Amino acid sequence: MAVDDVSFSVRPNEIVGFVGPNGAGKSTMLKMLSTYLEPTSGTIRVGNANIDTDPVAVRQQIGYLPGDTPLYGDMVVMDWLRFVAGAHSLTGEALGAAVTQVVDTCGVGPVIDKRIHQCSTGFRQRVGLASALIHDPPVLLLDEPTHGFDPLQVMAFRDLLHQLKQDRAILFSTHIIADVEAVSDRVLIIDHGRLLADGTLPHLCDEAGLADPSLELLFAHLVSEIGVEGV
Amino acid sequence: MSDDTPRPRLGWIDAIRLVTKRELCAYFDSPIAYIYAAVFLALSSSAFMNAFFLEAVVDMSSWFERLPYLLIVFVPAMTMRSWAEEHAQGTIEILLTLPLRSAQIVVGKYLAALAFYAMVIAGSLPIVVMLVRLGPADIGTIVAGYLGALWLGAFFLAFGQFVSSLTHNQIVAFVLAALLASLFTFSGHPQVVEIIDGLAPEWQLGSWLATSVSVLPQYESFVRGIVGLGALVYFTSMIGLFLWLTQIGLGRIRR
Repeated sequence: MAVDDVSFSVRPNEIVGFVGPNGAGKSTMLKMLSTYLEPTSGTIRVGNANIDTDPVAVRQQIGYLPGDTPLYGDMVVMDWLRFVAGAHSLTGEALGAAVTQVVDTCGVGPVIDKRIHQCSTGFRQRVGLASALIHDPPVLLLDEPTHGFDPLQVMAFRDLLHQLKQDRAILFSTHIIADVEAVSDRVLIIDHGRLLADGTLPHLCDEAGLADPSLELLFAHLVSEIGVEGV
Repeated sequence: MSDDTPRPRLGWIDAIRLVTKRELCAYFDSPIAYIYAAVFLALSSSAFMNAFFLEAVVDMSSWFERLPYLLIVFVPAMTMRSWAEEHAQGTIEILLTLPLRSAQIVVGKYLAALAFYAMVIAGSLPIVVMLVRLGPADIGTIVAGYLGALWLGAFFLAFGQFVSSLTHNQIVAFVLAALLASLFTFSGHPQVVEIIDGLAPEWQLGSWLATSVSVLPQYESFVRGIVGLGALVYFTSMIGLFLWLTQIGLGRIRR
């Protein structure tokens, strides 16, 4: 079982960092939240929509950036964004405005007329983010969003997340502890499919008896408690 | 976030049109599509021209009669990438998390393949023009033949897409679809029927396969100029079955 007995919520105006070692179940959890995978038991709600009864309503409310940013390499960036916008029922001027907005927000202007396979990893990631944002979703699910970014792009992305936080619930998974410390209001630590911790970093460190509020120390402390090697 | 009012969902027609348009553009964005069309038309037309000049008969029946055997290779070559590439590239994850129903995506992809196939088949229309100019061609039979060609291709595309939805590997998708196409075609070939019937005469398995499973008797009625209800029921039910199975297969990967 990839994920077992995990329960949490993310509220509007909140950025939650999802941390765990490789194979911990982070991506599986995000795939379930995005409706790509069906949970074998339990309930997932996004806003007022239940994933079991109305997955399309859930998909309308989420912007999802999967890990490795799978995109159609042969498509031109502009066509891809227009396709995703169309799938979200945007048409005419609203569609044009949405595309202009995400092109500006995510900085994909330099590659807008290129085919996706011609874009660098960093630009691909930005295109993926732009398509996740195009319908102005109230919930953002980002799986390893800074993968392929250079340090300047990472800093820009952190600023962007802070801007996007307004009225949005953002859940992002990452291996990069500095990203979580820099932008997260709350941290979820997962390992072997089980949620080990859920709370603000200072609170969790207090609970764990750590003098410094360091996610790295907290992570090592929690994961070593259940006897995982190689962390 | 601009407002909390949920945006209306795409209707069935709009959703299918959106997917069909993307898929059709993907076909024409690749040079392989043009090579595919050129090779198909060259092979089908050259075989026809050979018979046409030798027999000097002003009809297209020999073109239509060869079509099922060409499609055994050409349709799987078209459909092998349809879903297998989505699996391999991971784009299926993006596609299935857009606010579209899986049935809309399945039908949209299928219609794009059908539209591309129809365009390739339409590339043979110069033969019709040539026949009309050369002599009294039976237009009714030719039209029925083209309808049969469309139904035949539509059926092969349906199971080709189903097979492609089961695997990440395009070669596996191609081989399995070609095997299935061979089964549906050769099971109606008179010599094959005779051999299978000869193995167990009391069972008449070959005859049963030819009448119940094979596409050939259904297709050949079109080639003879007969648009029969039985053939239409056979094709629509088989296409519906395989599109439904494709959708079921997509549900399987969600678990």
